[in-house]
Amino acid sequence: MPEIRVTPLGAGQDVGRSCILVSIGGKNVMLDCGMHMGFSDDRRFPDFSYITRNGRLTDFLDCVIISHFHLDHCGALPYFSEMVGYDGPIYMTQPTQAICPILLEDYRKIAVDKKGEANFFTSQMIKDCMKKVVAVHLHQTVQVDDELEIKAYYAGHVLGAAMFQIKVGSESVVYTGDYNMTPDRHLGAAWIDKCRPNLLITESTYATTIRDSKRCRERDFLKKVHETVERGGKVLIPVFALGRAQELCILLETFWERMDLKAPIYFSTGLTEKANHYYKLFIPWTNQKIRKTFVQRNMFEFKHIKAFDRAFADSPGPMVVFATPGMLHAGQSLQIFRKWAGSERNMVIMPGYCVQGTVGHKILSGQRKLEMEGRQVVITPTLPPPALSHACCDTAAGVMQVEYMSFSAHADARASCSCGQAEPENVLLVHGEAKKMSFLKQKIEQNSVGKPRRGRACEGGFSRACADRARHLAEALSTPPRGQLLYAANGETVTLSTSPSIPVGISLGLLKREMAQGMWAGHAGWGGAAAGQVAPQTAPAPAPAPASQGYSRMPRSPGSCRHPIMKDSNFRLVSSEQALKELGLAEHQLRFTCRVHLHDTRKEQETALRVYSHLKSVLKDHCVQHLPDGSVTVESILIQAAAHSEDPSTKVLLVSWTYQDEELGSYLTSLLKKGLPQAS
Amino acid sequence: MDPECSRLLPALCAVLVDPRQPVADDTCLEKLLDWFKTVTEAGPSLLLLQENPCLVELLFRVLKAHDPRPRVLSFSLRLAGLFAAQEDCFQYLQVTPSSSVSQQGELLPMLFGESGPLGGAAWTAPTVRSGWLQGLRSLAQHPGALRFLADCGAVDTIFSLQGDSSLFVASAAGQLLVHILALAMRGPAEGHPSPQGCDWPACAQKIVCHVEDSLRSTATPQVTQALNVLTTTFGHCHSPWTQGLWVRLSPLVACLLEKDPIPASHSLVDLLLSVARSPVGSSDCGLWETLAQTLSHLSPTQAGPLALGILKLQDCPQALKTQAFGVLLQPLACVLKAAAQAPGPPGFPEGATGDSITVDTFLSSKSACVGLLCQALAHLELLQLLPQRPSPWPQAPLLRAAVAILRFCHGSAAPTSDVGGHLCAVLAGCVRVQRAALDFLGTLSQGTGPQELVTQVFAVLLEYLTSPDSSPMVLKKAFQATLRWLLGSPKAPSCCDLDPHTQLFLGELLPVLRKRLCSPCWEARDSGLEFLTQVTRHWGGQAAFRHALLASEVPELTGQLLRDPESYVRASAVTATGQLSSWGLYATPTGPEHPEVQQESLFTELLHILSTDSEGFPRRAVMHVFTQWLKDGHADVAEDLEQFVARVLQAASQDLDWEVRAQGLELALVFLEQLLGQPGSRCPYAVALPEAAPPATLAQVLQALCRVQLFEFALRALFDCDRPVAQKSCDLLLFLKAKATPCGGPQEAGASPDVVSVEAALQRWQAGEQGQPLGELEPEAVMAVLRSMDLEGLRGMLAKSSDHMEKSPQSLLQDMLATVGVLGENEADCY
Repeated sequence: MPEIRVTPLGAGQDVGRSCILVSIGGKNVMLDCGMHMGFSDDRRFPDFSYITRNGRLTDFLDCVIISHFHLDHCGALPYFSEMVGYDGPIYMTQPTQAICPILLEDYRKIAVDKKGEANFFTSQMIKDCMKKVVAVHLHQTVQVDDELEIKAYYAGHVLGAAMFQIKVGSESVVYTGDYNMTPDRHLGAAWIDKCRPNLLITESTYATTIRDSKRCRERDFLKKVHETVERGGKVLIPVFALGRAQELCILLETFWERMDLKAPIYFSTGLTEKANHYYKLFIPWTNQKIRKTFVQRNMFEFKHIKAFDRAFADSPGPMVVFATPGMLHAGQSLQIFRKWAGSERNMVIMPGYCVQGTVGHKILSGQRKLEMEGRQVVITPTLPPPALSHACCDTAAGVMQVEYMSFSAHADARASCSCGQAEPENVLLVHGEAKKMSFLKQKIEQNSVGKPRRGRACEGGFSRACADRARHLAEALSTPPRGQLLYAANGETVTLSTSPSIPVGISLGLLKREMAQGMWAGHAGWGGAAAGQVAPQTAPAPAPAPASQGYSRMPRSPGSCRHPIMKDSNFRLVSSEQALKELGLAEHQLRFTCRVHLHDTRKEQETALRVYSHLKSVLKDHCVQHLPDGSVTVESILIQAAAHSEDPSTKVLLVSWTYQDEELGSYLTSLLKKGLPQAS
Repeated sequence: MDPECSRLLPALCAVLVDPRQPVADDTCLEKLLDWFKTVTEAGPSLLLLQENPCLVELLFRVLKAHDPRPRVLSFSLRLAGLFAAQEDCFQYLQVTPSSSVSQQGELLPMLFGESGPLGGAAWTAPTVRSGWLQGLRSLAQHPGALRFLADCGAVDTIFSLQGDSSLFVASAAGQLLVHILALAMRGPAEGHPSPQGCDWPACAQKIVCHVEDSLRSTATPQVTQALNVLTTTFGHCHSPWTQGLWVRLSPLVACLLEKDPIPASHSLVDLLLSVARSPVGSSDCGLWETLAQTLSHLSPTQAGPLALGILKLQDCPQALKTQAFGVLLQPLACVLKAAAQAPGPPGFPEGATGDSITVDTFLSSKSACVGLLCQALAHLELLQLLPQRPSPWPQAPLLRAAVAILRFCHGSAAPTSDVGGHLCAVLAGCVRVQRAALDFLGTLSQGTGPQELVTQVFAVLLEYLTSPDSSPMVLKKAFQATLRWLLGSPKAPSCCDLDPHTQLFLGELLPVLRKRLCSPCWEARDSGLEFLTQVTRHWGGQAAFRHALLASEVPELTGQLLRDPESYVRASAVTATGQLSSWGLYATPTGPEHPEVQQESLFTELLHILSTDSEGFPRRAVMHVFTQWLKDGHADVAEDLEQFVARVLQAASQDLDWEVRAQGLELALVFLEQLLGQPGSRCPYAVALPEAAPPATLAQVLQALCRVQLFEFALRALFDCDRPVAQKSCDLLLFLKAKATPCGGPQEAGASPDVVSVEAALQRWQAGEQGQPLGELEPEAVMAVLRSMDLEGLRGMLAKSSDHMEKSPQSLLQDMLATVGVLGENEADCY
């Protein structure tokens, strides 16, 4: 039985270091090759030794697919290709190919130059790695080799993010990467063709969450920024160069325009131009509104947002600064933070996740004393967190305010199990937490029986906002997968048996004949597909597993006989007569025989006559004949009476029948074995 | 343990056992374990536990928890293992009950025995099973641990975990078995125990019996597990007892060869090679026989790795090596046979004639054919680089085979045999084989070959470089192989120029290169430029090359690529033009009599790129070129050195990319070294200071440094927000300070210079204000400021980096504690 095997080496039940091995139809594919920002040693990369055990990497792996440019999905790629030794093709979209090196360079800088690591990939390695990349267009079917094909679909999330369908023969897997089903200000919603993959591998970052309305978050964000600027304060927004920074820029630009605000907005040095360059270059990847208005006005040419100069940080008066890096662990954002941290009028808004050890993580967790480069920066919140704030501290006198507002673009529970138009047979959840995956699975199972009552979701131990979301969750999961919902820890292999679907052609005449006899309905489940899917001649129809002999027997009905024929690697369903003709074969007759002993002292001819009379009276619906040679026939069944060689008072009935009348033959023999009725 | 950490620990332990409190992410627990490992390795664990009773309390509480969280349970198991690695602490954990009255019992059996997590619901989580194994791995360090493992029945559980659904758990189980076996055989059993195992410790006997049973099993996974355990054993344990082990188990291993198909062939190959590499191999003659037998029993694809492994062995019978080499050569022999038009020159040595099994593999399927060829090419490539490669090395037939494969792939071969036709159909356009064959061909450039064959090599390379069907990756490899063959080609008899064949090839190659530089595919343009840079670096002085290059349009095209839309290509073009310019090859129209006109224009152009290019890669490339020009004493740079340095530093100082600024400081240091002489050691952390420069020279130098505004650049960089820039600046200023100040000597006499403006500027920069320039500087004032600055202290602080704070255990504990109560949406978020 063919099977699909999936082994996450990273992001199985966690976030970070995404790396999933898929084995499908004898092909091995690696989905994403990310790093974990929380580690600074070998653990930051997936453990590739589990692949190298299978021999040379390039021989083992047929291709690597990168879903998008975030480092937790591509950060280990140069290490894998240039240091571990993978020399095969790497597939990603064009924007991802263009932007990847920038983020990888940033990462290298932090790893090598700030942490002094020697054994790390170089700029040249990044370039060499990017030269192995084969760029794919959306909806373009790419033949990796004769059997393996991949196809990219729009995933939202970030510029260039894609979902991939991987197909070998009739088996297919869809990998979502990170995706977003809700359009935002610069990107559209994820979209995929209507398809029925054997397996959907989907992210589940927000597996138990129906996220707050994005409008609410945006409103909060603008309100906070506006209030701070109005009271003459400065707002620092630490961001990574590309991604949600552009989303926030569009948001602020529009707001500034509408409110006619004068306070300057700056973007970290050099990155405005760079980001603009890429967003202009890949304008078809943005959302419909931006694409439509692009000719009149490029949304990425900001009127209010200017390039930042280090000197501006000391300028008096309000301002908003987007600065890198996003976790406040180095560089310009950290420098500005140190400068502004002492004033209560200022605010830092963290729009994304920060790993342990970074200043961003510390302030988000409410720490008050930070030691940075020999200096102590004190943040002493004295007031409880405000109601609107998503996390952390607000302050009173003498300290900067800290806000956390998630603007990450991920699918929530509503999307995780369906992913738009995909109707998967099975679903594998990745890129999330085990407990939440288990919770989601439980909810789906409950949902298939009856929708959970309001508030029941809390029972899973998710105290935060789960109760309010349970209702949404139940709605979201109205179309659970047909098969299993799975999740696997890193290193665990999920194996799925697949029913191969093999296209078969059938002539219109035969189809009509079969339909008229109502035979298809009886075999609706046969081969894993319904009768309605059978199409005449050119259209493929399902068939059972191929018989290596060339044709195989199928369930038969009286007067009907069809056989699949394989010719030139194509299956066709034809009548048995046609099959014999095409194959140049004569029909074989196969007969079963049986001897029945009867105690009858009469002559053989009389015994035969008695048999005839008996059968005539019992089998009223069948044609029973007494032939001149004394034989009796019923359909294809032939009965002859003979004397016993040793016992003259016993007669032997020789019964034979074809395999088509096996049932009737068996019935007759058992009937005759009971003996003949006494003559009246 | 640091007192501050001791103070924080109880609170953290309380958080970990509280099911209502969310646990910080896995990375925090991992880092916490890293820290405990450091602490336990540095001192007595027992003392640590006694001084921090909260740790034992934590272990008890996690055990007693009704529904322990898998992550915390796994952490606790690993933590307990770390502590129990020391025997006294192990005893303590065995018998000491918790300080809390509610907690009683022997901790270690409760953690690792059958009454522990083994039977609980949490055992279904792989992280718990993994933690259990890792805990035992840490714990198993002393004889007491062995008794404990036997008593609590852990070994049986480890056996079952070998077949775990998690690769990580299964692998850890196998490794733990090897570790326990080695531990058991240490001490009294060490020496030459009998192969029968009657004098082996019970634990070791149990493991070996299990391995024997597994080897006898008909289930392939069990055989694989046993083979993997043995492979690790012979790879890591080199004590005499391993010899006895092999004597005992080798008959069972040999039995596997009699099965059809051979089970777990990949693992079997690994084991045999592991044994052959170990001391056991040298003493067991039967092993070579087994290896030979295995080579002949395995399929060509399975036998390849074994053959390569045998050929890598130092001491191995020649006959076996010949057999192994034959296995590696078989696929190429088949190709040669298939490609032969007529009886040709002698092929491979006897034993590698293209046997029927290899032919069958070729014919069986496309993937089998491609896989076998790629594997053979990769193995032979590796072998070619080894000192112990077979001798004589069949260079000529290998070259012919590589060329034939490339022609099959390219569709330019005209085979006459059936197999040849099949190969043509299968390999046509196969990028995977093309890549492997080009790599192999490049490696073969290390050897020589008859001229007729070398001509064929260049011809096929040219086919690939010319072909529009060559994928970017194939093209890159074709350029690399061409470069290797070109640079490896013999010199003309005069030894001062290229031989006629190479000159002829260059004539054909340069138009192809020109075409590739115009390719719409950026990878092709970039590979072309990289090739040009390398070939110019080596042959820039060769008259024939210079002539051919200048006659082509390649230098002009390279110049045009400075404005390429792709930043990688611009960067490569910068490097290439810099290299061309160094050899006077950039300017085609002008002769050597007027190079300065073009040179000036290139300098201006590169300076323009440095000032305006939106991407970092080209700007960094420019800085590398300029630094190289300065180092090499490029004529045009030397003509007005100060002007050159001043303009470059001005551009670099304003750059947004920290690497460009750092490279600017590198260039400044080269400049300083040229003015003041090289320091004794280039190591920035070297204690030895350079010798002081004579005062007269120094004054002139300082004037020059002021003129090129090096001081302002360096002082400003001292407070750069990117640490590497500040570090480089600090090193540079320290070098200058040392040169200007004789060690231990007094400062120069004279009026006190006006340092106020410099100090004020420094303070502003330190505070992060970067706006104001310094204006005109007096060298004396700068030197006075430098002398007053604690640059050594600053360097020490910069060397610590902010990670000093981020990585400290206090920081980790604080972060974990601070996270309590604020985890929620934050944790679910990602990048």
